[in-house]
Amino acid sequence: MTGFEYELAEALAAQLGVKAQMVQNSWDGLVPALQRGNFDIILNGLEITDEHRRQIAMSRPYYAYAQQIVVRKETDGLSRLEDLKGKRVGILGASVAQRLLEKAGGVDLRVYPGNVEVFRDLNNGRIDAALQDLPIAIYYLKKEPALKASGEPFGIGYYGIGVRKGDATLLQALNEAIKRLRADGTLERICAKYDLWDTRQTLLASYQEESLAQQRAVSTLREWPKYLPLLLKAAWVTIEISFLAMALAVVAGLLLALARLYGLAPLRWFSSVYVETVRGTPLLIQLFMIYYGLPSVGVRLNAFAAAVLGLGFNYASYEAENYRAGIQAVPSGQMEAALALGMTRAQAVRRIIMPQALRIVIPPVTNDFIALFKDSSLVSVITMVELTKMYGMLAASTYDYIGLGLITAAIYFALSYPASLLADRLEKKLRYDRDNYR
Amino acid sequence: MIATITVENLTKSYGANRVLESVSVTQYRGEAVVLIGPSGCGKSTFLRCLNQMERIDSGRVTIAGLTFEAKEGPLSAEDREKQRQLRLRAGMVFQSFQLFPHLTVLGNVMEAPMVVKDIARAEAESQARGLLQKVGLANRADFYPCQLSGGQQQRVAIARALAMEPEVMLFDEPTSALDPQLRDEVLNVMRALAEEGMTMIVVTHEMGFAREMADRVIFFDGGVIAETGTPEEMFTQPKEERTQEFLRKFLNRP
Repeated sequence: MTGFEYELAEALAAQLGVKAQMVQNSWDGLVPALQRGNFDIILNGLEITDEHRRQIAMSRPYYAYAQQIVVRKETDGLSRLEDLKGKRVGILGASVAQRLLEKAGGVDLRVYPGNVEVFRDLNNGRIDAALQDLPIAIYYLKKEPALKASGEPFGIGYYGIGVRKGDATLLQALNEAIKRLRADGTLERICAKYDLWDTRQTLLASYQEESLAQQRAVSTLREWPKYLPLLLKAAWVTIEISFLAMALAVVAGLLLALARLYGLAPLRWFSSVYVETVRGTPLLIQLFMIYYGLPSVGVRLNAFAAAVLGLGFNYASYEAENYRAGIQAVPSGQMEAALALGMTRAQAVRRIIMPQALRIVIPPVTNDFIALFKDSSLVSVITMVELTKMYGMLAASTYDYIGLGLITAAIYFALSYPASLLADRLEKKLRYDRDNYR
Repeated sequence: MIATITVENLTKSYGANRVLESVSVTQYRGEAVVLIGPSGCGKSTFLRCLNQMERIDSGRVTIAGLTFEAKEGPLSAEDREKQRQLRLRAGMVFQSFQLFPHLTVLGNVMEAPMVVKDIARAEAESQARGLLQKVGLANRADFYPCQLSGGQQQRVAIARALAMEPEVMLFDEPTSALDPQLRDEVLNVMRALAEEGMTMIVVTHEMGFAREMADRVIFFDGGVIAETGTPEEMFTQPKEERTQEFLRKFLNRP
């Protein structure tokens, strides 16, 4: 392992007289993991913000960063924050860049789980620009020949070390150590090694710890008119994705089921392999493969198409099994009766078997539709901002997980319950057993 | 006399169990043949082999001039089409009715003519209404099968088979699933068909019907035709000992 923060950690450990041990963790899960006690400090580009300081203690800054716009080499004119309006801009979730751009407004934000994906999609042309912390931009620009920094860095911020709130002694010791490393030039030497030392770092000396602003807790329930439109807009994305994916799943599932039951050997084989593998592997991996994997073989889908195809083809495997069960639940005598009347097998399936099977599968298919509706939240990993993602973003900035959670859950329920009712009515309407006529 | 069905050396096994052993029968046009015999004697299987509901192991079946020969291995598209043509010549009525539950009574009768013969809806409907009249269910046209008694359902099933205008009607124990009081309404319809001169083969335990309506009775036992004759011969002076034994047991049943 090498790297700016790795070496800094070694230097700090030497100052404290301890041995540094590195623990790997996802970036957006760092704070909760620290609180759980998975490790003792966060030293990983953690910005000193009020949000972070509300949950954990932050040390003095060890680095002053700025935001850098990164574009493809051939792109011109995107050099200032204002230029990004109307453009597709990739950012990390819950980052300073996200807050800056949300405040600026009018930017088509694409939220990514990690830096690698941001730069890959920028190379792909799925996004027009990325807004990143300067050190990250510098690091990746060395490895990305087709990309360039555009314009001057802006929006000064500080990286600090995160510590659990109770660990006052550790915090104190870290603050002293950082001061000493800056004073004796170690910090400069380590930064310079990675091309990270710049004039902004003089700010570190004059940094004054501000007292944590006394923010009153936001009650999103009381201020619902402010948040509801955002959530509803995201809910529309959820609806679009769910309906299109379900339509795809129902059609593809039907074809798979027919292939498995009535097809020639190769078709039967294909269908059962498809169903077993797709059903037996995580949807999340399938989404990653479709969105991030397919471009390497020349298929570049936008996030919406990837979401619909991923969900649709995943659920097709479940629908295929529903249909298969439904078709097999139709008594075999029905097929015999149809054949005895001179129908071909295809005619018998279409006119006699399927109409009966479809009635049988209404309840399980409705079930799956409601499940898909909720599973659609998984597409946030491929940058779709749908209802759950919007909830996560709003909650991360307001810290009102409960209030927003109630509103969001209510929206989900308001959308899925009518689907259940509709299916109930449809089922009753199509029933032909005796009860229906009493 | 013109043969409607000719069966030559038909053999059928389920695994190691031989159900039919080289059966040969000829049925003439307009003839009503009744198959009787103890349970498991092969009479139902024989009927189902005629219209290829079961594959035959060897021998051949000819219905109204179309011959289907036993064949090993998977059937080709051509074979399946031949099977279908054979089925078009033979209407079948099942023990368990097998009406299509998602269609009305009228829909059940109209479906096959429209789907298979491409007959226009209006024409199919008037034909279907005529057939329902014939089986005494004109007033039930818009009911669903589940709203009918078993006897009514079986009469609809007969109308449904007749709608395809078959050369011969195959009845597979048509009254076995019915309560005794409902059997007569089905038997009456069959009786009327026989009187009209419909060629038919009936597998049944209704000895009264066999005695009264059959032109010929065939007694199956152990997968072979044990004895055949007119009802008169079969019921009053059966030659074979096993026929005598079967009838004695059967007719003396309370």
